[in-house]
Amino acid sequence: MKMENKVLACVDLSHFADYVADYASWAAKRMDAPLKFLHVITRHPEIGSGEDHSGAIGIDSQEILLNKLSEQDAAQAKVAHEKGRVFLNRLRERAIAAGVESPDMKQRHGTLEETLVEQEDEVRLFVLGRRGESAEATNRDLGRSVEGVVRALHKPILTVTEGFVDPRRVMFAFDGSNLTRRGVEMVAASPLFRGLPIHLVMSGKPVQDGQKQLEWARETLQAADFEVIPTLIPGDTERVIAGVIQEQHIDMLIMGAYAHSPLRSLIFGSKTNDLLRSAKIPTLLLR
Amino acid sequence: MKSIRQDWFSNIRNDLLAGIVVALALIPEAIAFSIIAGVDPKVGLYASFCIATVIAFAGGRPGMISAATGAMALVMVMLVKEHGLQYLLAATILTGVLQIAAGWLRLGSLMRFVGRAVVIGFVNALAILIFMAQLPELTNVPWLVYAMVLAGLGIIYLFPYLTKAVPSPLVAIVVLTAIAIYFGMDIRTVGDMGQLPDSLPVFLLPDVPLNWETLKIILPVSATLAVVGLLESMMTASIVDDLTDSQSNKNRECVGQGIANIASGCIGGMAGCAMIGQSVINVKSGGRGRLSTLAAGVFLLLMVVFIGDWVSQIPMAALVAVMIMVSIGTFNWASIRDLRTRPKDFSVVMVATVVTVVATHDLAQGVLVGVLLSGFFFAHKVGMIMYVGSKPEDEGRVRSYQVVGQVFFASADRFVSSFDFKEVVEKVRIDVSRAHFWDVTAVSALDKVVIKFRREDTEVEVVGLNEASATMVDRFAVHDKPDAVEQLMGH
Repeated sequence: MKMENKVLACVDLSHFADYVADYASWAAKRMDAPLKFLHVITRHPEIGSGEDHSGAIGIDSQEILLNKLSEQDAAQAKVAHEKGRVFLNRLRERAIAAGVESPDMKQRHGTLEETLVEQEDEVRLFVLGRRGESAEATNRDLGRSVEGVVRALHKPILTVTEGFVDPRRVMFAFDGSNLTRRGVEMVAASPLFRGLPIHLVMSGKPVQDGQKQLEWARETLQAADFEVIPTLIPGDTERVIAGVIQEQHIDMLIMGAYAHSPLRSLIFGSKTNDLLRSAKIPTLLLR
Repeated sequence: MKSIRQDWFSNIRNDLLAGIVVALALIPEAIAFSIIAGVDPKVGLYASFCIATVIAFAGGRPGMISAATGAMALVMVMLVKEHGLQYLLAATILTGVLQIAAGWLRLGSLMRFVGRAVVIGFVNALAILIFMAQLPELTNVPWLVYAMVLAGLGIIYLFPYLTKAVPSPLVAIVVLTAIAIYFGMDIRTVGDMGQLPDSLPVFLLPDVPLNWETLKIILPVSATLAVVGLLESMMTASIVDDLTDSQSNKNRECVGQGIANIASGCIGGMAGCAMIGQSVINVKSGGRGRLSTLAAGVFLLLMVVFIGDWVSQIPMAALVAVMIMVSIGTFNWASIRDLRTRPKDFSVVMVATVVTVVATHDLAQGVLVGVLLSGFFFAHKVGMIMYVGSKPEDEGRVRSYQVVGQVFFASADRFVSSFDFKEVVEKVRIDVSRAHFWDVTAVSALDKVVIKFRREDTEVEVVGLNEASATMVDRFAVHDKPDAVEQLMGH
C-alpha cells in the first residue's frame, strides 16, 4: 500500500459528519484509495474550572492541585474518547454500506489545524465540513476553523455542506493563475472526476490572454478524455459562478483557495470565503 | 487574533473571580514584602499593582501572577538601608533593562541547566526565608500576638471546610482586625510600618544622580535582582505549564518581566517577579487567562486606594499568619519526605542550595552553588562510564587495548592510568571505535599515552577513531605531527 494516497475524512461530532462520510466514500471509491476517518479531540487548557476560592495554600497544595486537575482532564478525556469512538464506528458502518472496503478510523489529541498538517504526508484528499459543531449553535455559514485549516494545508480539500448528491456535473472556476493551471493538470490526471462533464468557467475582469488560457485548459482536459464545456463570462466572479451553478445544475465546484495573504483577506475580505458562503454545493479547494 | 481571544476572553467569569481572590491575597503579601525590604507598604502595593497589570499584557505565561515578591525584597535590603528608596527605584528600572536584554538574548533557555534538585532547593530556601522574615514580628512581643497568629492560621486552614466561596486569608484578616479594634488591643498594625497609598500612583523618575557612582552602587543589586527574578519567574512558569498542561513563551516572559519592572520603578514601586504561591492560588481558583492577572492588579489597587484607612488598622499578627501560610504552601514538603529515597547527589545539591541561600540571604548564590554542584556530580557520573580492556595478540608481541565509553576531563586520568606502559611489547593497538573523546583534556590524554608508549620504543596504532573523536583529535592532537614529543614534553 502506498503511503500518500489516503482520503482523510475529518469529522467532528456534528450531523454534518454524515455528509463528510458520504462524500469521502464517494471520492475513495472513485480514486480507489483507502479511506480514513479522523476525529480530533481538542482540549481547552485556556478554560479553567475552579470552585475553590479559598485562596489558602498548605502542605503539598501544588501536588494536590496537579493531581486534581489531571484527574479532571483524564475523566473528560475518557468520556470524549468513548463518544468519539462510538461516533466514528457509526460513520465507518455508513462508509462500508456505501461500498468502501475496510475504512480506517483514528482519534487524535490536538487542534484540528496541527493534526491535519501532521497527517498531510499520507493524504491525497482531505474531506471536511464547511460547518461543524460550532455552527450547529451559531448558524454561521462557514465554520470558524475552515480558513485557518485550508491555509495550513497544501493538498486538495473537498469541503462539503448539507446533504449528499452523487456528483453529475462539475464546474471548474478557472482564472488562468498558476494555482488553477496546476489544478487543471491535477484534475486531468486524477480519476476523481473521470467521465463527468466539466464546465470550465472563466469570469472576473477580462484579461488579455484569457481566451488563450481557457483554450489551453480545454485542450488539457480534452486530451484526458473529459467532456469540457468552456465559457468565458465577464463580470463579478461570485455572481457569475452562482449563476452558472444555478443554470447548469452543477453539483460540485472546483476552485483555487486563499491565494492571497491572510492580512489582505482580513482587510478586503476573501473571495474564497465569499464563494464558500454563496455556493451551497461541495467545493474542491486547490492549494 | 485567535490567540488574543484565547488568551484573554475564553474564561472571563473564572478569570475575574480568581483575580479577586488573588488580589485579596496579594495585599498582605505586598505589605509584608515591603516591610522585609525596609520600605513603606505603599512601595510594595504600587509595585504589585503595576507588575501584575503590565505582565498581563507583556508576559509569556497567561494565568501566572507576578507582583512584589519576597525573593526580590530580600536582595534589596542592604541597598535600601545604605542608600535609600530612590536608589532602589533606579535599581528596579535597571533590573528591568537587564531582564529585557536577557529575553532578547534568549537566556530563558539557560534554565535547562538548572536541574530539579536546584529548583526544589530554591523554593524551599524561599519558603524558609519568608518564614524567617516573620520572626521579628514574633520576638519580644506580648503573648497576645501569638494567640492572634495562631487564631489567624486556624481560620485560614479551617474556614475552607466551612465554605470555599470566600478566601479564608481574607476572613482571617477581617476577623483579627475586628477583634483588635473591638478590644482596643495595643499591638502593632500595618499603619505603624509606614505610609500606605492614598492616591493612584503617578509617573516619577527616580531622584538619583546619573553618574558612574550611582551605576556602581545599583548595578550589582540590579544584576542579582534580574537573575533572581527571572529564575523564580521561569520556575513558576513551568509550574503553571504543568498545572494547566499548556505551553508558555519563556523569552517573552523574560522581556515582560523587564517591562513590568521598568514600569514599577517609574511609579515608585519596588522590583518584583512571578510568585509561586499566588500562581498556584490563581490556577486553583480557576484563573487561566491574562484577564486573571490583570484583574488581580486592578482590584488590588482599587481596594488599597479606597479602603486604605482600614488597611492601616490590620494588626501585623494577621499578616504574619498569612505569610506563614504562604511559606508553608511554597515549601516542597515532599522533598523532605523523599530525602532518604532520592539519590544521594540529588539530596546534596538540594540541601546545599538551601543552606547557601539561608546563609547568604541571596537566592542567586544558592542557585549558582546548586548548578555547579550538579555539574560536578554529572561529570563524575558520566566519567564512570569509561572502561579500558586489553588482551595479548600475536604470541605476546602485540597488546590490543579496547577503550569503551566517555573520555573527558573527569575520566582522563583514569584513562591514562588504564594502560600498562611497563610491559615489553613490540606494538600496542588502541581501539577507540567505541569511545568518545569530548574535549581537549581527553585528546591530550590520548597523546600522552601514545608518546609514553613511543618512549618505550613501542609502536602504537590508534584504530577506529569515530567521527566525533576524529574531529577532536584532528584539531588538537600532536602525536601524529613530526615534532610531537618535543611539543608535548616541552623539550
